[in-house]
Amino acid sequence: MKDPLPFDHRPDLVLGRALREALDPGGAQLFTARVLARAEHARAASWDAVLARWARAGVAAALVVALAAGYFVGHATAGSPTTVRPTVSDVLIAPPAHPGEVEVVLASVIGNN
Amino acid sequence: MADLPLPPQPARQVARIAQQDEADLVARAVAGERAAFGTLVERYAGVARRVARAVLGNPEDADDAAQDAMLSALVKLEQYDARRPFGPWLLRIVANAATDRRRRRSVRRVEPLDVGLTAGGARPDTTTERRALNERLRQALAELPERRRMAVVLFDVEGYSHGEIALILGIPEGTVRSEVFHARRRLRVLLADWKEEG
Repeated sequence: MKDPLPFDHRPDLVLGRALREALDPGGAQLFTARVLARAEHARAASWDAVLARWARAGVAAALVVALAAGYFVGHATAGSPTTVRPTVSDVLIAPPAHPGEVEVVLASVIGNN
Repeated sequence: MADLPLPPQPARQVARIAQQDEADLVARAVAGERAAFGTLVERYAGVARRVARAVLGNPEDADDAAQDAMLSALVKLEQYDARRPFGPWLLRIVANAATDRRRRRSVRRVEPLDVGLTAGGARPDTTTERRALNERLRQALAELPERRRMAVVLFDVEGYSHGEIALILGIPEGTVRSEVFHARRRLRVLLADWKEEG
């Protein structure tokens, strides 16, 4: 048999056919079905991973929001001190904001007597 | 009016249509259409498995490598450039998957080919003889360097051009020609007797 021409650009049909037969494993449909099943499984797994990632991000975001809300509420409360309602004695003992108030109170007390 | 038979389409035009068709299939597969990916798998399962088997020898390992490559391609589909042919893009992934698997697995000793077997023998008419020829071819293939095996399978079995094989294997076109030439010279010895009598 002659040696082939170097760098023959045409496929050798006989060799190709023989090699194809030697390498052909058969069961093409089974292989395709297996790949598609694995692809579905991988797709489902990737969705689970995405959802898990979103869930983790969601919990983290909720924590941040809760902490921020707590901080702002606390800050606002500290900024405006609780208003204590004055008792009657406080009003009476405290120096009058308007000088006429005491006289009015005394006059009304005396008048009642 | 009777339909006139359509003139045969030039090979280049057929290839362009096939490329458009595959680009469309890829786009649909990326969008999540299972059937489109299924069509691509069906279309390329044979060549992917044969190339993987040329590298790995063992059919189970080859199928695992081909399957891994298909799934890897599915993940990378968005990276595929639709202006280029799909086959070489996919087969590069297949070749890499098979090569990686071969490197990872424990090295199996390749038994040297029996000189008596390579020197000819009876014409493989029967199933048994055909099976023996297949075995001899696989052994001869296993003796070749890995790149040479893939080159000859892609060229003579799958019909890819030297340029496409260069893309798949990531080597210069001239090297592909040389690899195919040397592989053929070795493998043709096996087939000589069969060819001359057939």
